[in-house]
Amino acid sequence: MAALKKVVVKAEEGEIYDIELAEDLLKANQRLAEENKRLLHENGAKAIDIMGAIGSGKTSLIEKLVQLLKNHYRIAVFKGDLTTTIDAELIARHGVETVAINTGKECHLDANLVKKALQKLNLKRINVLLIENVGNLICPAEFPLGSDKRVVVVSVTEGPYMIVKHPFIFMEADVVAINKIDLAEPMGVDVKKLEKDVKTINPRATVVATNGRTGEGVEAVAKALGL
Amino acid sequence: MHEFSITSQIVQNVLAEAEKRGAKKITEVHLVIGKLTFLGLDQVRFTYEVITKGTIAEGSKLVIEEQEGFVKCSNCGYQGGFKYEDDPLYHVPVPTLKCPKCSSTVSIAAGKECTIRNIKMLV
Repeated sequence: MAALKKVVVKAEEGEIYDIELAEDLLKANQRLAEENKRLLHENGAKAIDIMGAIGSGKTSLIEKLVQLLKNHYRIAVFKGDLTTTIDAELIARHGVETVAINTGKECHLDANLVKKALQKLNLKRINVLLIENVGNLICPAEFPLGSDKRVVVVSVTEGPYMIVKHPFIFMEADVVAINKIDLAEPMGVDVKKLEKDVKTINPRATVVATNGRTGEGVEAVAKALGL
Repeated sequence: MHEFSITSQIVQNVLAEAEKRGAKKITEVHLVIGKLTFLGLDQVRFTYEVITKGTIAEGSKLVIEEQEGFVKCSNCGYQGGFKYEDDPLYHVPVPTLKCPKCSSTVSIAAGKECTIRNIKMLV
């Protein structure tokens, strides 16, 4: 944690001191995130933060992105989970450097965990870092990691109201992947309506319909990320 | 969800500040928490009580001021509350990043704070 910024120290009646501080604890994370970003940029790498609910298909989408891009970029992947290295191994079999970040009990990655994971990488050897956040549509929005772009993956199997119920994470997104579109019909979910919900909440987000199993839409995701 | 870790950091910073000044007891801690954070105030209060137990901050008063969220438009200069989309399908109005005045995309200017404003302590 960064040092506290002290503004005023003044004595109050009797022996009580009133110490005024102006340290924002969430800003402390933002500062670390900016350090991460600077470190990555100095080494010629850019980072993408991939967020989304549990089971939305983040890992499958990352696997497809890795397959598509690994011959064009030197990719590393950070895989955030509470525990296990199951997903990290799924990704590593595509031959890219993968670091599992196990948060233990925390429901999101934070800039400090990413900073520690960055120390495990030889940054000179990579130019794209994909960071899969812990499955959660709430807390990750609050903790920037130092990425250049943020992606939110939302699948049709989460139902028709997932986007409007979590407006704040979609406000953070540069790209939104509406995933598992092959299941839209059996689920009775209208992909166009989900797309409209994203655009209503965050007009500057690029929305892409994807199928993480077949790879449909993955090229469009890469393009929207400037890759 | 992350009230525990945030509150732990708050208490850690408060105790560090008290130690620097050789305080015997912390009597009050004032926080500012933005309404756009995902911090539940009841959970913050509860975890504060638990975490301060056995420290010099045990039993101290925790005062939380809430900060409203507002947005800024770089196109027309609007500064204020969100534009809400009121679609009957949504049941409740949904906040959007559209400027209420000119419909450009706005950015969030306040409401994400989580600040220790001041601490009162006995030295």
